Amino acid sequence: MSAMFEGNTLSAMQTSQCHTQNNYSPQELALEIKAFISGVDQTQGRKLSVRDHARCAVRLLRTVPACRGAVLEHLRGVYDEYVASFFQDLEAESDNGSNSTATGTNTSVSNLEDVVKEIHAVLLEFIRFNPKAWAPLVSSWAVDLLGQLSSKHAGRRAAPHSSSLNELLQLWMSCAATRSLMECYSQCLAAMLAWCPDACVDALLDTSVQHSPHFDWVVAHIGSAFPGTIISRVLACGLKDFYAHGYTSGEKSSQQQAMDKSSRVPKIGSVVGILGHLTSRHSDSIKRELLRMFQDSLSPSPQNAPPSAGAAWWENSPHLRRATVPFLLQLAALSPTLLGAVSVELVEFLRPPVLLQLHAQFQGLPREELENMLGLAVHLISQSPAGGARVLRFLADTATPASVIISGPTPSPHDGVREACDRLLQMLLLHLHKLVYNRPEGEEPYPHSTSACAVPRVIPFLEELQVHVGELCAETLRLERKRHLWLHQLLCLLSVYGGPSVATEALCQLLTQARNPEELALASQLHSPLSSSIPGLLPAAVARCVAQIHTQNLNSRELAQLLNNLATAVQSQEEDCKGGSAASGSSTHSSMAAQVGAAVSSHLHDFCPLLLHGDTMVSRAAARLLSCSQLPKACTPAQLLLISRAAVAHFFIALRQRGEGLKVGGQGGGEAVGYSMRLLSHLAGYSSLTLKIVLQQLVEGALHKGNRDLFGGQIETPGEDGALTPTQVPDLGASLLDINYKFGTTVNFSGSVWSVFHAGVIGKGLKPPHIPSQSDPDKVNQNMQTLLAVTVQCCSSGGGGSSSNGSGSGNTRYHPAGESVLDEPSPINAEAAKVIAVTLVENVCPDVANGELSWPPEEHAKTTVERDIHIRQCFEANPVLFHLLRVVAAGRPALCYCSAVLRGLLATLLAHWEASREPSVADSPWHLQASCLLVSCMGEGQLLPPVLSNIHEVFPHLSPFEVRLLLLGVWEYMRGNSPMPQKFTFIAEKGMFFRDFSRDGDVARYIAPIHNVLHKNIDRLGHLCWRFQI
Amino acid sequence: MSDIRHALLRRDPLSAAKEVLYHLDIALGSTLQNAPGLDKSTVELVEEFIFHVPKDRNTQRKRMSCVQELQLLEIMCSYFQEQSKDAVRQVIFSALFSLQGNKADESRMATLGKLVSMAVAVCRVPILECAATWLQRTHSAWCVRLALVLVDDYCTLVPGSISTLQNVCSASPRFCCQLITAVTALYDFSSEELTPPPSLLDMVVGWITEDPRLLLLTFINTPLTSSLPLGCLEVTPLAGLLRWCVKAPLASQRARKSAATGAQLEQENGAMCEELYSKLHLSVLQVFLMLQVHLTEQNLLGRLAVLQVESVAALVEEVSVLVEELNPLHAANQIQLALDRLAQALQVAMATGALLCSREDLRTLCSRLPHNNMLQLVMSGPVVPHGAAFQPSVYPYIHPARPTPLSPHPSLPALSPLPAHPALATHHQLTPHTAHSPLPPPHAFHPASMAFQYRPIR
Repeated sequence: MSAMFEGNTLSAMQTSQCHTQNNYSPQELALEIKAFISGVDQTQGRKLSVRDHARCAVRLLRTVPACRGAVLEHLRGVYDEYVASFFQDLEAESDNGSNSTATGTNTSVSNLEDVVKEIHAVLLEFIRFNPKAWAPLVSSWAVDLLGQLSSKHAGRRAAPHSSSLNELLQLWMSCAATRSLMECYSQCLAAMLAWCPDACVDALLDTSVQHSPHFDWVVAHIGSAFPGTIISRVLACGLKDFYAHGYTSGEKSSQQQAMDKSSRVPKIGSVVGILGHLTSRHSDSIKRELLRMFQDSLSPSPQNAPPSAGAAWWENSPHLRRATVPFLLQLAALSPTLLGAVSVELVEFLRPPVLLQLHAQFQGLPREELENMLGLAVHLISQSPAGGARVLRFLADTATPASVIISGPTPSPHDGVREACDRLLQMLLLHLHKLVYNRPEGEEPYPHSTSACAVPRVIPFLEELQVHVGELCAETLRLERKRHLWLHQLLCLLSVYGGPSVATEALCQLLTQARNPEELALASQLHSPLSSSIPGLLPAAVARCVAQIHTQNLNSRELAQLLNNLATAVQSQEEDCKGGSAASGSSTHSSMAAQVGAAVSSHLHDFCPLLLHGDTMVSRAAARLLSCSQLPKACTPAQLLLISRAAVAHFFIALRQRGEGLKVGGQGGGEAVGYSMRLLSHLAGYSSLTLKIVLQQLVEGALHKGNRDLFGGQIETPGEDGALTPTQVPDLGASLLDINYKFGTTVNFSGSVWSVFHAGVIGKGLKPPHIPSQSDPDKVNQNMQTLLAVTVQCCSSGGGGSSSNGSGSGNTRYHPAGESVLDEPSPINAEAAKVIAVTLVENVCPDVANGELSWPPEEHAKTTVERDIHIRQCFEANPVLFHLLRVVAAGRPALCYCSAVLRGLLATLLAHWEASREPSVADSPWHLQASCLLVSCMGEGQLLPPVLSNIHEVFPHLSPFEVRLLLLGVWEYMRGNSPMPQKFTFIAEKGMFFRDFSRDGDVARYIAPIHNVLHKNIDRLGHLCWRFQI
Repeated sequence: MSDIRHALLRRDPLSAAKEVLYHLDIALGSTLQNAPGLDKSTVELVEEFIFHVPKDRNTQRKRMSCVQELQLLEIMCSYFQEQSKDAVRQVIFSALFSLQGNKADESRMATLGKLVSMAVAVCRVPILECAATWLQRTHSAWCVRLALVLVDDYCTLVPGSISTLQNVCSASPRFCCQLITAVTALYDFSSEELTPPPSLLDMVVGWITEDPRLLLLTFINTPLTSSLPLGCLEVTPLAGLLRWCVKAPLASQRARKSAATGAQLEQENGAMCEELYSKLHLSVLQVFLMLQVHLTEQNLLGRLAVLQVESVAALVEEVSVLVEELNPLHAANQIQLALDRLAQALQVAMATGALLCSREDLRTLCSRLPHNNMLQLVMSGPVVPHGAAFQPSVYPYIHPARPTPLSPHPSLPALSPLPAHPALATHHQLTPHTAHSPLPPPHAFHPASMAFQYRPIR
C-alpha cells in the first residue's frame, strides 16, 4: 500500500507547494465543516454516505488543522465499520461458500477499501512530511484504535482464538484496515525511535495490558519489525513499572503460581508475553539484552562507566539498579523460555567481584525480601532447562569453604557470599527433595513413559543433570569437605528422580571410580536409600559394569579399580558373615555386599577373560574378585573350561610375577598367588569336571617350556631344534619348501633307532650345551612348593563338591612358609591323582606304543630306546616331575597309570648305570637322585613292596654296577607283579587305597640281590641291614 | 444559578456548553450598558461546562468527544460571526478567554488555539480581531503559546495549509501584526527548536514586503495613553524582527556546525532563507523610516522610544554570546554580516528617532562585540569637524539612488563623514525631517521603487 509513495522523494518545501492546488475558499471550508459535523451535504441537503463522510473528513484533515482531533476520531468509526463488514464477509463466506449473496456486502467493503487507502495515504504523507509532529499523534491513535478493534472483534465467529497467534496475525494482516493502521504505526515508530523511544513503547505496553491477549498480534508484529529497540525498551519499561509497583508483592504471587500471569503484576505479564513472542526468532538479542541489563545494574558507578547506548537513562537511579535483579528473577519465573535463554550464560558472569557487588547490593534489603528472592532463585534453578551442571558447579565451588589444603578452581570468595551460596545450595537440595518425593505415585518407576493421564512433573534441573551423572560421581568421590555431602545428596535425588537407569549409572560410576574403602562406602550409602525404591538395582549396576568391560570403555586402571571394588564389596560380606551375630552392625552394608556377591557370581564368566588381561593390575584384581566370589550353581561346561584355563594360566603368571618381585598397586606377588591358589581350589572343588580340567592344566602348565624355569627346569636354547620350526627363526625366511628340499631325502624315522641325534644335527655342529638354570634355588623351591600345594589342595578337595574342607582354611591371606597342606594331611583323591598321572603320561611320553601297564622283560627295553631317552630328558628338564610323581603316588593307585613313564625312566637309568665306569655313584648325581626318587616314589605308590622300596637308601653308598643290579631287581619285580589298579582295595577308615602284597607271592626271590650287595658291602651298609628284613 | 447548574449537569456535554454560551450571551448582552462585569457564578458555569474544570472532586463530568468539541467550536465561530455588536463580541470573547490564573487556563488556551486556528481556516474576521486584541492584552507567555499553536497547525503539521494563513493578512492585518510580534517573541534563535520554520519566515516576509505598514499597525492604532498590562507583547514587532535579521546568519552557521552532513536540500533552504532575511532586514529599515514620518506627524520624535534600549542591549548580549560560541575563523563572514546588519539598523533607528540612545551608551553597549568596520563607524560617529555636524545633506545618501552600484562599499566613504548624532535630548528640535518631507507617503514604499543599495559585506 505504501508503494504508491515509494517514488515520492520530494522535499518538504516541494510537497507543500504541490498541495497548494487544493485551495478551498473559507466559505467552502465552513460548509465542509458543517457537512462533516452534521453528516449532511450542505449544498444538496442529502445525507452523506459513510464513504463520502470519510472523504469529507480527509479533506478537512488536509485543510483545517483545528479539525484534526475530530477527524481522527471520526475515522476510528470508519475503520471499525470496515472491520465489521470484513468479518461479515468472512462469516458469510464460511456460511454459504462462494455464494452470490456475499456480493452485496462485498461492495461495501470495497467501497470503504479505497477510502481506507486514501486515509492511509494521507496519514503516511503527513508522517513523512513532518515525522516529529505527526508520529506521536498518529502512533497513539493507531495503537489505541488497533487495541480497540482487536478486542472488540475478538469474539467474532470468524476470528480465531486468541491463543493461536499466527492465525490471528494472518487474519488481521489480511484485513486492509488493520494492515494500514499497522503500517502507519510502524512508520511512526521508525520515526520516533530516533528521539523518544520510551514514549512509544510505553504506549504500546499500556495498550497491550489493556487489550491483552487480543492485542498480542500487534506487539508480536511490531516486535519482529523492530527487535533490537523493542526488546530493550520493553525490558526498560517493565523494570520501571516493576519498580514502581514494588516488587515484593509480585514476587510472592509468582512463587505461588508461577505460571499464572496474575493481573496484580501490571506490566510484567505483557513484557513476558512480548518477549515470549520474540524468543522464537530473536532469542539471541533478548539474551544479550537481559545479560546486559544485569551487568549494567552491577556496574559500580554510572559516572565512571561510559553509558552504553540507551542504558544511561535508567542506570542513573540506584533504586532501579537494585530492582533489576529481582526483576530479572521475576521475569525468568514467569517465562520458561526466557529462563532458558539466560540461565546458561548468567553463571559465567558471576565472578568473585560481581558476587561481592551483589552481596553489597542486597545487604540493605529486609530479611523477608531476601527470603523471597532466595526462594525464587531456588525455584528458578530447579526449573532451568539447561546449564544445570554449570550452575551446580558454581554453587558448590562458591559455597565450599576456603581452605589451605584444597585450593578450588576459583579464588576463595568472601565469607558472606560463601554463606549465602551455602544456604542457597541447601535450600535447593531441600526443594528438589520435596519435588522428587512428592511426585505422583504412578510415575515412580519410569517417569518418561508415563501416559498422559498423570502429567509428569518434570524437573528440568534434574533432567539436565542426568547426563552429567558421571561427572557428579567423580566430584563426589573427591570427598572434599562439605561438597561431597551435597553432591551425594543430589545423586540420591537424581537417582530417585531418574529411576533405575540413572541409579544404575550412578552406582556403576561410583563402583568404577572409588579408589579406597572410604570412597567405596559412598556407593553403599547411595545404595541403601535407593534399594527400597528401586528393586534390582545392584544386579543392574553390576550388569552395567560388565557391559562397560565388554565395550572396553575403561582403561586398565579403572578396570582394576572396578574389580577391586567389587571384590572388596564381596569380601566385606564374607567378613560380616564371619562376624555373625557378634557384629552385625551395618545391615544395609551387608545387604549390598550380599547382592554384589550374587550379582558378581552370575557374571563370573564375564570376568574370567580379564584374568589374562595384559595389565597385571587388572588380572590380579580379577583373580581377587573371582577368588572371593562363588561360582554360580548352573554353569555350562564351556564356561567352566574357560574359567579354569584362565585361572591356571593366571596362576603361572602370578608365580612368575612373584619371582620377579613385582609389586603392583600395593600388593605383593605373594598375595596375587594366594588369590590364584584360592581360586584354583575353589574351581577344583566345584565339580569333577573342573577338577579334572584344573589339574590337567596345572600339570601341563608346569611342564610347559615357558614355565620350566619357574621350577628349576632347564631352559631350552633356541638353537636346539629351532632350525626345524620356522616360527622360531622367522628372520631366516626359510620356507617350508626349503626345508623340504634340505631334508627331502631323509625320512623321519622318529621312534626308531636311526633317528636319534643326541649330539646335534649333522651339518650344524654340536648342540650347544645346556645353559644351567639361572634361577634362584629359593625361589624355585618356593614355586615348587606353591605348585604342589595347589595341586594337593585341588586333589584333596576332591571332585565331589565338598569344597569346605580344602578351601575353607583361610587362604585369603597367603602364608609363604606354611602353605603346604601337610600340616593337616588329607588323603589325596585317587581320581584326581589319576588325572595327574594320565596327564603326566600324555605329556612326558611322546608315543603311546608300548604304553600298556604291565612291564615287559628288561631286554625289550631296547625297542623303546628313543622314547625312554625322551622321557629321561623330560625328567632332566623338569625337576618338578618327580614331585608330581610323588603326588600321584600319594593318590594310590594312580601311579599305576604312570607305568610307561616309570618304565622308560628306569630303563634309561639301568642303561646309564650299566655303562657307567665311574668308581662312585656320586659321580653322576642326577642319575643317583633320579634312581632314589623313582624307587621311593614307586614305594609310596605301593608298586613295590616295602623292602624293595627301601633300596634307594643304600644307593649313595654303592658302585654304579651294584645300583644297576638292584634296579634290575626292581624291574624284575615289576615284570613279575604288574602294577594293576585292581590290586588295590579301598580301606574306608583310612580313606585310601591299599595293596595287599601278600597276595602277590614271594618277594624273597627279588630280595636276594639286595642281600648279596649288602653282604658285599657289609662294612659300610651294616647299619642298613634291618631295612631289608622281610 | 445552582438550579441552572443542576439542569445542565443532566444534559450531554455539548448541549450543556451550548446552553452556557447562550446564557452568557443573555447575561452580558443585557448588562453591557450598566455594569460591565460578570458575576462569579457565570464564570464558574463557563469554566465547568465549557472548559471542563471539575467543580468538586467527586463529580467527574464526561468530557466532550473531539467531534463534539468541533461542533462547539463551530457554534462559537458562527456566534461571533453573527454577533453584530463589536462591544458585546469583545466582552464575551474576553469573558471566555481572558486568563484567570486558575486551573481552567490550560483548557482555555487549548480551546482558544483551536478556535483561532479554525477561524483562520474559515476566515472569521471578527474572531481574528478579537484574537488580536487578546494578543495585545495578554501576557507574552500565553501569546507565544497561541502563536505556537497556529504555527504548528499551519506551518508544520498540514502541508500546504500555509496559504490559508497567508491569506488572512488581507482580512485582518491587525491580527497579523500581533501574530508577527508573538512569533518573533517565540522564535528567538536561542536553540535549534526556536528557529523559525522556513515557511513561516516566507510568509512573514511576504506579508511585510507587501505592506510594511503592517508592522506599525498596532502602534498607530493604540492610543498612547492606554496603559498596557505588565509583560505583554511589545507594541511593534520591530525589535523581534531585528533580532531575526541579526541572529539568523549566526544561527544558521551554528546549525550547520552541529549537523555537519548538510544535505544539498538544506543548503538550498539556507540560501533561500538568507535571501528572505536580507529582504526582511531591508523592510525593517524601511519601517524605521516610516516610523520617523509617523513620529514627526504625531510630534513624538525623541520622546517615545519605539525600539527600547533594553531590547537592543539584550540583542547585543545574545549576539556576543553566539559569536563566542562560533569559531570566528570559520564563521567570520556570518559574524560580519550579523554585525553589519546590527550596525545599519542601529544607525537607522537612531537617526529616525526610534531608538533613543547616546553614542556613549552605544559604545559601552557594543564593546563586547568583535570588530566590525561599520559598527565602528556607527559608534565613533562622524570624523568631520564640529561645524559640519548636523548637516542634513548627510542623510540623503541613504535615501536617493546612488549611481555607483559596482563599488563594493559605496556607502563607506560617503558615510564616513556621518555626522555625530546630536544629543538625544535635543534631536527633536533638529530639522532633518524637513529633508525627508518630500518622501512619498509610506504606503508607496515598495522594494521595486527603492534604489537603496544594500550589500552585505562579504
